Amino acid sequence: MVTKNIWISHLLRRAGFGCTPKELHHFSKLGYEAAVDELIYPDTVDNSALDRVIGSQDFDFTQIDDLRRWWLYRMTFTKRPLEEKMTLFWHGHFATGDNKVRNAYNMYLQNLLLRKHALGNFQDLLMGITRDPAMIVYLDNQQNRRGKPNENYAREVMELFTMGIGNYSERDVKEAARAFTGWHTRQASFFFNTRQHDYGDKNVLGVHGDLDGSDVVRILAARPSTARYLAKKLITFFAYDNPDPQVVEEIASVYVMSKFKIKPMLKAIFKHPTFLSEKAYHAKVKSPVELVVGTLKHLEMQNLDADLPTMMSRMGQNIFNPPSVKGWDGGAAWVSTDSMMERFNFAARATAQKFDELHYYASPSELVYKQNIRNAGQLVDYFLNLLVEGDVPPETRRRLITYVSSDLTGKQVSALADDRTLDAKLRGLVHLIMTSPAYQLA
Amino acid sequence: MNNSDNSSSNVTRRNFLKGLGVAGLWMSHSELFALAAQAATVKRIAGKDKILVVVQLSGGNDGLNTVVPYGIGSYYDARPQIGIKPNEVLALNGQLGLNPSMTGLAQLFKKGKLAVIQAVGYPNANRSHFRSIEIWQTGCPDKIRDTGWLGRYLDLSSSGNNFANNLLAAVNVDPVLPKTLSANKVIVPSVASVEDFRFKVDPDYPQDRGSQISAFEDIYANFNLRRPYVDLLRKVGLEANKASDNLLAVTKNYRSSVDYPETEFARGLKFISQMITGGVNSKIYNISLNGFDTHVNQARTQSRLLKNLSEGLASFQADIEAHGVADDVVVMVFSEFGRRVAENNGRGTDHGTAEPMFVLGNAVHGGIYGDHPSLTNLDNGDLRHKIDFRSVYASVLDRWLKADSQAILGNKFDQLPFV
Repeated sequence: MVTKNIWISHLLRRAGFGCTPKELHHFSKLGYEAAVDELIYPDTVDNSALDRVIGSQDFDFTQIDDLRRWWLYRMTFTKRPLEEKMTLFWHGHFATGDNKVRNAYNMYLQNLLLRKHALGNFQDLLMGITRDPAMIVYLDNQQNRRGKPNENYAREVMELFTMGIGNYSERDVKEAARAFTGWHTRQASFFFNTRQHDYGDKNVLGVHGDLDGSDVVRILAARPSTARYLAKKLITFFAYDNPDPQVVEEIASVYVMSKFKIKPMLKAIFKHPTFLSEKAYHAKVKSPVELVVGTLKHLEMQNLDADLPTMMSRMGQNIFNPPSVKGWDGGAAWVSTDSMMERFNFAARATAQKFDELHYYASPSELVYKQNIRNAGQLVDYFLNLLVEGDVPPETRRRLITYVSSDLTGKQVSALADDRTLDAKLRGLVHLIMTSPAYQLA
Repeated sequence: MNNSDNSSSNVTRRNFLKGLGVAGLWMSHSELFALAAQAATVKRIAGKDKILVVVQLSGGNDGLNTVVPYGIGSYYDARPQIGIKPNEVLALNGQLGLNPSMTGLAQLFKKGKLAVIQAVGYPNANRSHFRSIEIWQTGCPDKIRDTGWLGRYLDLSSSGNNFANNLLAAVNVDPVLPKTLSANKVIVPSVASVEDFRFKVDPDYPQDRGSQISAFEDIYANFNLRRPYVDLLRKVGLEANKASDNLLAVTKNYRSSVDYPETEFARGLKFISQMITGGVNSKIYNISLNGFDTHVNQARTQSRLLKNLSEGLASFQADIEAHGVADDVVVMVFSEFGRRVAENNGRGTDHGTAEPMFVLGNAVHGGIYGDHPSLTNLDNGDLRHKIDFRSVYASVLDRWLKADSQAILGNKFDQLPFV
């Protein structure tokens, strides 16, 4: 039963944020190919249930904390997980932080922009982000004026958003900055300040003329180095680290052939033989967002009103405030002693009945109530399958069985004394699985 | 980040764990905890080890408005709006003065405890934040390396046959480990605060804590699963628990009469002082202060940050002096680059090249080192560096940490006598 579903679980972990047992059932019934299609074409999926949940919450989009909770609700309750996952990808790619923008509503507008183009055309997305009020403030294009260019956006758009370092010269940066002069923002929208725009001749990457911002966007979106840069970043985000150059070329050529469309690249990644192989399976570290939202889903937790965004932030991922314009590095960068301790303590909070005056999150005994479980081995297997698809060494399973067959003093017993002890042991069991290396793997 | 480097560092980690197993050093966890507890009770002996605190100013600090060349007229030509006036600077001599918000460091300069090293940089300066910080952190401008310059120092000075000596060889006080401290043999813990750095369990069932911790340790010790990140997760997960117990033990008796400012940076410095005075045997501490990327309205942001830096370091220095350990500690301050000589139109400055560095401590020979870079003979609008940053590193390594700078930096660099 488990082995049949691991590739569906794997797909939902990468293209989404993990799944509830019900969602796993739904996608398993579809089969892998149809599951990929449903994820890639979110417009075909009714998402009105999410709209109702959001509507009931009365979020204030001028408050950054509300914005964080709003997005957490979306990621948890959406029926279109890939749309949210790609929005998160683009948030890390076009990293913009409210610590500098200081305008939650503009951050909200940017998030809508990222979601609108999340699975669309990269050139449109790049044009949108270049004209986006939050980005214009974040990378100082508001101060980019004729005769006194500010290079910040011009540099980062080449280094981090499109081609990557080494594919342009300092002169390209300076000339592109002139093309972006006067691309300002006013009252939460884009404003082309003609008096501050430099109409002179420019030369960006070998293209001459009176170039403006849209010309530079078109030049950058069409560069082969952009195709490779995006392909490599998407493969690394969705599949595995250090992709072979030929796989990068394969995905990059899909971008070029489709004229900068995002969907065909994702489809090619999810259907690539290496995505469905040991090379990709449990080969990445979950980001804090994946860890937290995945836990909410796996354990069908209802209480989201605690400080979950703060916990994600302490693990190293503060949404709407990435550490720099480079976004989050991911991989080994998620793993420090401090962030591991925060992951352990999130596991403690998620499984504790009461913690720091908060109501309980998860209720493991409710989850196993309807299962036909007769012994400690079946109990351990149930939660190992639910949380990590049973992907642990045999020693771990044996040690967990020893743990649940002991009472609160640590003494081995043949049967647990009472419901209270059973509840403690079930919570402890889920806590231990969540602190294990296996649960940190995506 | 470079891919081949990534994978090679994973291989090295695996080999390292394997090596430990062969040597019989992958001891059981109760032994490891006993060692940690033992290490925790040993008071550090004054004068025994030299300690380096590295302060990273992230974002590219504008050097010309930090150490202001108020005696050079062309400074005011380049900066008509954001130039700091001669009567405002905290004069160091007839030509140079500190930013007015840096009173704490100005006093330490007067006491001869602050060295200012001018025009530090490297050839073919890179103006990308991310590449340039990597160059400073790895000590290598020519190619991408996966270890930091202090990581290589830790590797070379770790005694391979005594794991206990390598516990907490260095501590990073930021949430993310900088490449500076990335090493092959030693894992450096990142700890932002001792209070939150504890393994917690369900408060309704506190009596189950022992069972859970013992199961946790056994699971980690025997987690032999062949997946790419498993070795790293195991090592860091165990280290987290181990370091948590150790740090709690050594910091609980700390008392201080010095009032630190109420900033995150100062809290981090206070924590470092707690560790040094409490007996953590780390030789390197790392901390950073962020937000120096002042493309716009620089004055307000930069003076707030420099005040934070200066007051924090002055409190730290007073605190370790009061605890009698100041002779063993040197602080080094750097940023990934300085900024453009000419101001931009937003009362800010764009990415540049050379910058001044600070080295601070009782053992430091205070003063100004090196010549001021020309403000008119520029490289594409940027300062030409006069001192290679690796000369500063080499001086700290050879003269302070008594290490082999050539082995660490791959070359011999000129020494500066600031320490």
